[in-house]
Amino acid sequence: MNIDPLTNVLFAALRVMTPLLLAALAGLISQRVNLLNIALEGLMLFGAFFAVVFGAKFNSPWLGLFFSIVFTTLITFIYALSIIELRANLIVAGLAINILAVGLTSYLLVVMFNARGAYSPSDLVSLPHLNLPLLKDIAILGKVFSGHGVLVYVSWILAGLCSVFLYRTPQGIHLRAVGERPEAAETAGINVKGIQYLALLLGGVLCALAGAQLAIGDLTIFNDSMINGRGFIALAAVFFGAGKPGLTTLGCFLFGLFEILQFRLQTSANIPPQLPQMLPYLIVVLTLTAISFQKKFTKRMAG
Amino acid sequence: MQAELPHLDPAASQINVEDSAEQIPSAILSLSRMLLTLFIALLMGALVIWISGKNPVEAYRALLQASLGSRTAIANSLLAATPILFTGMAAAIAFRAGIFNVGVEGSLYLGGFAAAWVGFTFTTLPPLLIIPLSLLTAGIVGGVWCYFPAILRSRLQVDELVTTILLNYVAILFTEYLVNGPFLVPGLANAMSPQISESARLLRLLPPSQLNASFLFALLAALFTIYLMTRTKFGYEIRMVGDNPQFARWSGINVVNVIEKVMVYGGIFGGLAGAGQVMGVHYRFIAGFSSGLAFTGITVALLVRNSPLGVLLASLLFGMLRSGSATMEIMTDVPRDLIRVLEATIIFFAAIEFGNLLWRRHREH
Repeated sequence: MNIDPLTNVLFAALRVMTPLLLAALAGLISQRVNLLNIALEGLMLFGAFFAVVFGAKFNSPWLGLFFSIVFTTLITFIYALSIIELRANLIVAGLAINILAVGLTSYLLVVMFNARGAYSPSDLVSLPHLNLPLLKDIAILGKVFSGHGVLVYVSWILAGLCSVFLYRTPQGIHLRAVGERPEAAETAGINVKGIQYLALLLGGVLCALAGAQLAIGDLTIFNDSMINGRGFIALAAVFFGAGKPGLTTLGCFLFGLFEILQFRLQTSANIPPQLPQMLPYLIVVLTLTAISFQKKFTKRMAG
Repeated sequence: MQAELPHLDPAASQINVEDSAEQIPSAILSLSRMLLTLFIALLMGALVIWISGKNPVEAYRALLQASLGSRTAIANSLLAATPILFTGMAAAIAFRAGIFNVGVEGSLYLGGFAAAWVGFTFTTLPPLLIIPLSLLTAGIVGGVWCYFPAILRSRLQVDELVTTILLNYVAILFTEYLVNGPFLVPGLANAMSPQISESARLLRLLPPSQLNASFLFALLAALFTIYLMTRTKFGYEIRMVGDNPQFARWSGINVVNVIEKVMVYGGIFGGLAGAGQVMGVHYRFIAGFSSGLAFTGITVALLVRNSPLGVLLASLLFGMLRSGSATMEIMTDVPRDLIRVLEATIIFFAAIEFGNLLWRRHREH
């Protein structure tokens, strides 16, 4: 039996889940301090934009990545400042970031490159892909796990670190305390504002990585609709995982798998591409519904 | 130290937000607040223009000239304001009930297609039959579309913001499929439906502008909304649910029902907005025609603190901005995407101003 199709699908699923996973980790950390991060979508778009623009400017994907982190975090800082110091409404401020991202990137694209909607620098190469030394020679595992872009592996490491951070470090424990019992955390002498900044800014870095993976991870292209709801799908993965890193990662993998399956459906079967394209969004909505159903049911069982 | 933690403050929901449409002094206050926010946004826009090496004064002059400079320019501004009137009202009502319904965008697409379908299918009907039929179909389709996330929100507490945003992608892709698949017109470069019959087209009010009768429908819808919000029991219930859902429930208000009605109402308005664009402007359904009209509606509602009367004024203003921006781009090389930056700034300042007064959301994810 030929197992190539299966390994190909798994390989591709791991690739497309990466921006979801990075954004979901950002959403997860915010969620754990009880701040719902609606801005993931816009921050990812900023991340993608800066990665391509600075990557092209210095003709180096690494510098693109670096400046993407710097500038996306800067924008996240303004977002955090407005929420924490100026007490802006969380949802509305997040919406503002998302609209600003679309507006400002399209504006700058025209002003800087005279390009409307999309920009692809011809000289810029993507971030390197890694062949894992021992793994790549093992029959099936090598085909699935080796040869990905560098940020794919970074995302796995960060998912692990996120878990360690939340459950094994003092800051992580403080962070969870702020999310669960803010008054108690304050009384215990935890710097609540500091923790909230930490959570949101870490989210900014992660969103920069997520955007960079989309923009310079495989190809080098920016277009103003390239995030395509991934920020909200990532948020759905956090809901799916109930704020736990492991389950959230699983959620991202499943949503990534559906993205790949719809893509396969588009290319293999002779049906209009829009129908399979609808599937991932519908599945995420159904998943959210199922979670709520289950929650309601368990609540009722508990009396 | 509850004061340090705005989003977790249980007292927040008990603060009553004054109803700006009802009292004269507060109306003046909210007008000046709106002008201040607008001024800051324009200033921010000027900064962006200046940093990108262009002249902000020239850009704004071109914008003003293109939106108010002639009879046709004014008509075009009113034309651009038409769908924003619908989506702004939809957003204002939803916000007032504490609901974040972004699904209006999807309703706009599906309602627009429904109106087009009636228009190119029942070609033999006279205007007096086909126009109401088109509008009715569009309204129903738009309303039903928002009913799904409404049920999920009201009965299962599924976050409506996330579901409606994701469902918008479904609606946009589905209509794109319809004009690329079953209703494909061969030989056209862009994906669009067949033209609607002559009898289904709305009257053009001031040719050569495309301003049409749907502007009057939008005005009617706006007046109806103002009446609904200030003079009816349902309007009172909406405000109660928005201020404090818990208290509303204790007072015997059917919160589930109010939330569902509010979202369906927004969906109907979205559908009508789409129908207006199809029947009055394009005479057919064009894939991807909206470009975020629902978000502009949200901006408008936030700018005026959800006062329906304010939405009426602010929609006209955003009509000017939208209509003038294309000419501004041609005349001064300042990209029309500047309008989005202005929108974002307005929303951002609204977010800070509102703080935790509105939209307290019980999230237990």
